[in-house]
Amino acid sequence: MADYFIDVLLDENRMAKLKGTGLEDNIKYRFAGELKLVEVHVSEETKNKVLETFDTARTDSRNAITDVPVAFLRELFNQVAEKKSLGDDVVEAVLAKSDEIKELAAKESEFLPAPEID
Amino acid sequence: MSRFLIKRPLPHGGRLVERVVRDPERAKKMIKGCPTYDIQPTLHYETGVPVRNVYREIMSICYGFFSPVEGSMCQAEVERILKERRLLNEWIFPYPLVFDISKEDYKKLGVGSGDRLVLNLKGKPFAILDIEEVWEISDTEELAHKTFGTPEDNPEVVRERFNKKHPGWVIYKSLNPIVLAGKYTIINEPVFRPPFDRFWYPPRKAREEFDKRGWRTVINHQTRNVPHVGHEFLMKNAAFTGDLEPCHGILVNAIIGVKRRGDYPDEAICEGHEAVNTGGYIKNSRHLPTICLWDMRYGNPLESLLHGIIRQNMGCTHHMFGRDHAAVGEYYDKWSTQILWNEGIPSFGFDAPPTDVPYGLEIRPQNMREFSFCPTCKEMAYSETCGHEREKLSGSFLRGMVAQGVQPPSIIMRPEVFKVVVKWWKHFGYPFCNEKYVINKEKELEVDLKDL
Repeated sequence: MADYFIDVLLDENRMAKLKGTGLEDNIKYRFAGELKLVEVHVSEETKNKVLETFDTARTDSRNAITDVPVAFLRELFNQVAEKKSLGDDVVEAVLAKSDEIKELAAKESEFLPAPEID
Repeated sequence: MSRFLIKRPLPHGGRLVERVVRDPERAKKMIKGCPTYDIQPTLHYETGVPVRNVYREIMSICYGFFSPVEGSMCQAEVERILKERRLLNEWIFPYPLVFDISKEDYKKLGVGSGDRLVLNLKGKPFAILDIEEVWEISDTEELAHKTFGTPEDNPEVVRERFNKKHPGWVIYKSLNPIVLAGKYTIINEPVFRPPFDRFWYPPRKAREEFDKRGWRTVINHQTRNVPHVGHEFLMKNAAFTGDLEPCHGILVNAIIGVKRRGDYPDEAICEGHEAVNTGGYIKNSRHLPTICLWDMRYGNPLESLLHGIIRQNMGCTHHMFGRDHAAVGEYYDKWSTQILWNEGIPSFGFDAPPTDVPYGLEIRPQNMREFSFCPTCKEMAYSETCGHEREKLSGSFLRGMVAQGVQPPSIIMRPEVFKVVVKWWKHFGYPFCNEKYVINKEKELEVDLKDL
């Protein structure tokens, strides 16, 4: 069975929320430590559900599920922090809110605020 | 002169097609009294969203990117392409290219073989089509399957039956049934809007530019993406191919046209590549970002064949091909482009690579594997030479990061490139192509037309 996953990026705020959850050991430091993330692992069945639910979603060459709405990724982090888990259960919990996420995704496909950079 | 020196190849088919009338008075005479037709985008057969605009094909044909193709294809030519991927004049070509209209429009127009039709764009005369044959597509779905192949007919590389999730398949499935076949001629040259104007190097101009820059060997980088550092390393390292010395130039040729939701806007793609050389990551004198108009079919090995043709016509000596070239989903084997260029794909009509068959291509493939970040080497490393476990770079992973407003580390996306992404993000209110972008773009197009 293929092992699929979703990357959850961590900034300082999210790092603080994971503190004490027992997930700190799972933090991965990518690209010379410039990027911090945790990987949520997903079964083939759940991966298929995600792809069916969100038409932009797909898997990339790393077997990562990508191109899901930003609202999906936000909710995914909330579930990770709440459930203190990096498994299928958090994705299932996100999928249970798919109607709400789709509504937010429809709005975000019209407009997303751009970051202010120098 | 050394026998190792590689010469710039002739255009595919032996001569560059140029079907552009630049004298307005002559153009006016040519179209006087002819029936007119307003070019409309091809709409998705289910959603009605634009998926293709034939004006781009007319532009690419008339400026020679698709030499030796000169127009919309007759039925016999389409059938031959679907069987053997060859034009009736024997030269290899991967896709049917047709000017299709609805039965209602055909009835209204009342044109037939021997007639000249004026094609309007944005309400102004743009090109003519000298009709040689009118034919009907009996089943667009069958055409779509035959165009891309099926697991039964093309088992060497096709892994999955194409369906409506594939944008190229949707284009053929969405075609109108009546085809007006014949040669196109542009009679009113469109003016490119910024920023596209500065990236427009049709084949003749590209060849002249190579001469001006003293580039004898040029390697092409195909793109439909804003570059990340993996792309940059692919370009830099592929450029070490050549003959007595590394390639003189790296041509970036971005495919501009209707894209999938989630792709970067074309404006950001062009300027993102430009930022690689203005930022000094690849010297300006060695690097030239350009565009070609084409609504991507995402046909992986077949698309690579078209890319080889386009870039040979532009005067490139080499073309780099990576994993999943011009692919979407898992319809084709991820290395099918390299299989084509290494050994051929018999079920598509190639018992040998397209460079080793009569009437084939002269451009040399540079088949590359992957570049990714190696935490041990502490640099971007090549999969075939680095012995460590590496951190793979994926365009969609980067897009996810961008969408969340996270600036990618400079080790994977140059800050100059990210600045370009943010510039166009602010302009469009969204970092990628969304439905609004696709619809507006088809209204505005990349070009404006003058009065004739």
